[in-house]
Parts: sequence; structure tokens; C-alpha cells
Amino acid sequence: MDQQKAIFKLCKGLGCCDSCCLRYLGIRYQNAYENAQTFCLKFQDKPANAEKVDQNKPTDISPPSSTSENTVTSETNVSTDDKPTENVTNDESNNVNPGDDTKTDIKMEEDTSNKEDTDSSNGNVATSNGNGSRPAKRRKRDICTSCLGLLQKDGWPECNAAVKEVLDKKQYDSKTFGCGLSAPIATILREKVICLKIKEAFPDFDERSITTLKESWKWAYGPQLAQHIGIALDSGSVSPLLIVLNMEYPDDLQELEILKTLSPDLFESRSRQRKRFTVEFTRRSVEQALEGATLEALTALRWGSVRSADSAASCVSVVCTRTPLYLGGRYIKLSRELPQTPWLLGGKRMMESSVQDIIFEPLAKAYGMSEADADHRLKFMSAGREDVDVRCLGDGRPFAIEITDPRRELTAGELQQICEAVSSTGQVVLKKLVPVTKEDLTLLKSGEENKTKTYEALCIKLAHSKSSDTTQNGTTPITVTDEDISRINSYRNTPEGAPERIALTQKTPIRVLHRRPLLARTRHILDITASKVTGHPQLLVIRIRTTAGTYVKEFVHGELRRTAPSLGDAIGAPVDILALDVTNVQLDWPNKQ
Amino acid sequence: MDFQILDSIPELSNYKSFTDRYFTKRYILNYGGIENNDIMLMFHSNRIMLLSLAPSHFFFKKNLGYSINFNTGKVDRLSNSVKGKGKKGGQQLEPNSTLCQILFEDDTSFKVPSCIKGSLIEINESLVKYPELLKEMPDSDGFIAIILSSITISEAKKSEWLTPEEYLALLKN
Repeated sequence: MDQQKAIFKLCKGLGCCDSCCLRYLGIRYQNAYENAQTFCLKFQDKPANAEKVDQNKPTDISPPSSTSENTVTSETNVSTDDKPTENVTNDESNNVNPGDDTKTDIKMEEDTSNKEDTDSSNGNVATSNGNGSRPAKRRKRDICTSCLGLLQKDGWPECNAAVKEVLDKKQYDSKTFGCGLSAPIATILREKVICLKIKEAFPDFDERSITTLKESWKWAYGPQLAQHIGIALDSGSVSPLLIVLNMEYPDDLQELEILKTLSPDLFESRSRQRKRFTVEFTRRSVEQALEGATLEALTALRWGSVRSADSAASCVSVVCTRTPLYLGGRYIKLSRELPQTPWLLGGKRMMESSVQDIIFEPLAKAYGMSEADADHRLKFMSAGREDVDVRCLGDGRPFAIEITDPRRELTAGELQQICEAVSSTGQVVLKKLVPVTKEDLTLLKSGEENKTKTYEALCIKLAHSKSSDTTQNGTTPITVTDEDISRINSYRNTPEGAPERIALTQKTPIRVLHRRPLLARTRHILDITASKVTGHPQLLVIRIRTTAGTYVKEFVHGELRRTAPSLGDAIGAPVDILALDVTNVQLDWPNKQ
Repeated sequence: MDFQILDSIPELSNYKSFTDRYFTKRYILNYGGIENNDIMLMFHSNRIMLLSLAPSHFFFKKNLGYSINFNTGKVDRLSNSVKGKGKKGGQQLEPNSTLCQILFEDDTSFKVPSCIKGSLIEINESLVKYPELLKEMPDSDGFIAIILSSITISEAKKSEWLTPEEYLALLKN
């Protein structure tokens, strides 16, 4: 306990806030951080009642500012008296923000003048964005030298407001949330210096024992955010909704600059590999640079002790995402002029619509997504695909849709409406659409490789059978004979009793050869039956069941003998295909449990 | 809702053969200055090409037994192989490269030229076992080779060579 008190005192002296002091003590429970100030009392020598008076100035409870002056002043050129700081230097703070990608839900106002207007209404005491003529609302010495204000209450209202704004806009239905923090990288440097200072005084101190900033931030900030937004805090791995706050510190890059002197080799090699390392300072590179750092080396760089911070880190953006939802169903495709997915050639659409487009439209509408939004938030997956000119009948083809960052789950009624809207197009029919899990998707993908498919093909006989004993001349019409039918129905090239009737060798069809390697694959026909077509003596219909990956059109016409044997080999005459339907994709989908 | 394959019976008078459905045909007459050394190239919409003898080739008028030799002396066309999506490693062809040589019983012979700069993807191996396909089905199973050329060359040749209409018109004269 004595050592703990001493470490506490040392941290306080270095300018740490209550919560950070607890972090360096290795305290690891939520309660401690939720009420850090109270919890800290036991590490302080002063009588408890004395502090209670001064609730809103937590850092002042440690005895006279002399302690902090002793350790800090030598490192800084800034006065440490209690007057409001004049030269607040972070007006440009928000411009430092490097890579706000499109996922950022909101950015805090970058314009300082706008900021001032909203400050008062926010009751925001944390921002120091005011100009020099205005008294800064927080004294510099009060900003924690370790967490840069992340664990200090006065910055929280601003964060809460930013989160609330995003949530109000996105309207999630989640009753829980997990939260994440992107902290300024300078906190790593600062943490390192503080650890080295503690170790200097207490050699057996283990810097690995400290509680991470992220963890304590969740404990300290999370519960009150939960109160503010009215949903429960849960673990990020459990809750579907994740709220990430990006906190930035205006002097971040400037302070990290010394690492280039501390660890020149690392940063030189990184800058040589600029393509691989686009950003100079990442959490990883900074951790690497600081790995073996000593107090002596840091002292030479004027970081022999932790410096006070001119301004606190502030929230520059909030990103909220909900884990994807998945819908499963089977589509029936009735058109011979409809591709499964948009057919793009050189970025241009070759056909107006697609099965995917037709299904996405009402779904996007239900979610209030714009077309562009739907483009990158909806993803179509299916167990295989059929050609543009092939229909998919029967129960249809299994498919699933991934919805990225969904605001809510759709009701059964809404899903039914989507099915009806799709079916009303007359090109695609959807009987039902149900929620499925991510794990279910593996079934869909395995269906692509393992399941058998049944087809119906309309075929034409192009010449007389060689074996035919009827005498023919040029005028005898070509007809499908009973013998042809029975030959097909009994045709096999595998041993009697084998589950497959016909083993095929198929070279990659010419029509897909430009995008697939040239290979000769073995595929199987499990069953095939043929029948004549009334009123069309030259035509026949075959029903055929194949293993996945069999090219049926190529089996029928033989593709210049690149598929062998072909249907024509069974009857000793060339055959061609006129139309093809998929009549069954054998897969239990969506799984009925 | 009852859909059957029988509701898809097309007008049979519109029937087109496999190569007519999927390929654009082009013709070259008297290749290399040899009379009736006429070649047909079929372009798939994905740029892949099939090479065959054109129906007007002198080969079809000669009623002699023949054999096909795929060994040009320099390379054996039958040992061609390509790897991966990019079809790497195919034998390189210049317009005058020989794809194969046809040897008649009377010891006369002629060479089939590639006609285009490109890479050999596949030789029609069926011709080894069934050389008669060359004579019986030049427009389909009797094709000689599959060739892949660059977009620029393919497009240029497609517009340079004779279309089926131009070809038929020339044959009539």
C-alpha cells in the first residue's frame, strides 16, 4: 500500500489525472474508473472530507502545485501559475486529421468560428478552440499529461454530443453498444515516459502491469455514454453496434517528431519503403521506436519527464457501424435475357437489369438507401450461377444478401413485401426471404461445389444417325427416333452400378476461356432421360442431373469435340441445344433448422 | 405458375450452327500468293479465334488421301501448352508461321499458315485421331487451332479481312 501511495503521488506529480494514476497502479475494474475520484481517496494522505469540497477540480486535490512544478517546469517553457493560459495553440488542430475516409459519419466542425457559436450551448468546457482573447476554459495544468484528457470528465459532453448526433441520424435499433477508441498516438510516448519515471523511482515496477488507456477509457467513459444515449454498454464482441470515437491531439505529430532522432534507422527504412508504409507514425511504428528507449536518451530530446499538454485531445469524428445482417432465399429466374449480376464490359452495363438489381431495388427502398449507397452496402452471393439465356425454375437458386451497417432488422412483413415487389417484375420470382447467419453462408458456398443440379434442355438432332438402318436420301427428314430415345436413356460409359452414368472430359469452354485457365476437367452426369417433342419430330427434351461444375450446353453439342463424350455420341448424330432451364439446385436453403 | 422447357421452342428456320451463333467469320483468299490457299478465321466475342480452311480451299477439290503433320520441323505444335488465366507459355505465332502440313498420297503437300501474330492456345487434337474431320466438318469439329492475339491486332484484322458477304460475292465472280 505504501508503494502504491508513493506511485500515486509520483503520477499526480507528473500531471496525471485520477484515472491515469489508477492505470499505472494496475487497477483493473470498472467501478474504480467510474468513480475514479472517490476511489483515489485511499491512495491519498489527505483526510477524505477535504477533497469532497472541490469536486470539479479533481487535479487540485493533490497538495500544492509545487509538486507538479518541481517535475514539470524544467521541461517546459510555459508558466505554471493558475492564470488562464493565453497562447492556446491548437486552432489548426482539426486540420491534422490525416485520413478521414468516407466511413466517417461526422466530423467535428473544422471552422473555429463556428465552434465558438456552439460552445456555449454545448456547455462544453473541454475544447480549447477559443482564440487568445478569450480566457481558455480549462487551465493547461489540468489536462492530464498521460491521457490528454480522454479520461477526464470535462471533455466528455462534447464526445457525447458527437455520438448522439450520429446515432440520431442513423437510427439503429440496437439496444446495446460496444465502444472503441482511436487515441492520439502521442499518448504512447507519454505513457512510456511516465513508466520510465516510475521505474526510476521503483526499479521493480513492471510497465506491462498497467491498465491500457483503451480499457480504462471504456470503463470510465462508456457507462456515462450509455446513460446519455439511452442504450446499454456491452462488450464490442457481443453487441452488434460498435461506436468508435476518433480523438485527436493537436500537437500529436509535433511531439512524435523526436522519435525520428530516437530511432533514426526505423524511420529511415520506413521512408524508403514509402509504398508499404504510407503513414510515418502509426501505433506500431511508435511502439517499435520506443521499445528500448531509456530515460537518458529521452532526456537528451527534452523528454526526460512528461511535458504538460497545451490542449486536450478532442473528438474529431465518430464512426458507428452495426455488424452485417444476412438474408437468404431462392430466386426463380424467368427471363432468358437477364444476367444474374450486372454484366459490365469496360465499366459499361451491357444489359439494363439483372437478378441482383431486381432484388436489391425493393430492399434498398426498405432500408432507405440511395442507389449509390446500395451499391456498396448490399452484396449478392449465390450457389453458382446460370447463363443470361438460361432460366432457373423449380424452387429456384439459393442466394444470400449481405447488408453492411444495417440500421435495423426488417420485419417478416417487410420481407414479404420485398418478395412481392420482386415477383411483380415478372422476370424474377422470390417466394420468401429470411434472416440467415454468417455461418449459414458456408453452406451456400459449399453448395457451389458439392451439390447436384437438374436441368431440362431442348435439343435438336442435326443429321441422320450413322447407325440408322433406314435408307436415307437428301429428302428424308431428320427425326428423333424411338431408338435414339432408348439409346440416350440407356447410355453410360461408367461401370454398371456406379452412381454416375457418364464421365465427361470437358476442356474449358471457349466462351469462358478468356478468363479461366485452359484445363480438361472430369465431370459427371448422374442421370439422363430423353423424350420426343410432339409436333416437332427433329426435337428432343432431355432431363439431366449433373455434378456441380458441369457445362451442360457443351455436353449437348460437344463444343467442337472439346467435351467428350457428348449427347450426339449416344445417338451417333450431331445434336445442338436450343434452350436450357435449371429445374433444381439441390441444397437445403435457406436452412429450416 | 408452370414453366416448361417446351414453352421455349424457337422458330427452327432461324437455326444457326454453333460457330455461326458465337463467332464472327472472316476470310483470306490466296494466302502467301498461293491460289485458293483460302483460310477462315472465326472470332469469338471474347477475342479468342479459331482457324480453319475456307470452303473454297483447293484442299477440298483434291480427292486424295492425306495425313496431317503438326511437327513443323522447328516445333511440335502438339506439345503446345498454356498456363493460368493469362494463357502463358503458348507457342508464339507470326502470320507466316506454319500450324501444320497436309501431305497427300501423291507426295504433294501444303502448309497451313497462322495468318496472324499471336499465341497458340490449342491445336485441335481430334484431327490426330480423325483427320477426316478436316474435310468433313471444316466449319466446326474440323477446325485447326485456337489462337489468341492482342486486341489491336484482332480488331485490325477483323476489319481488314473479308466478311462472309464479301467472300461469297468474290466467289461468285
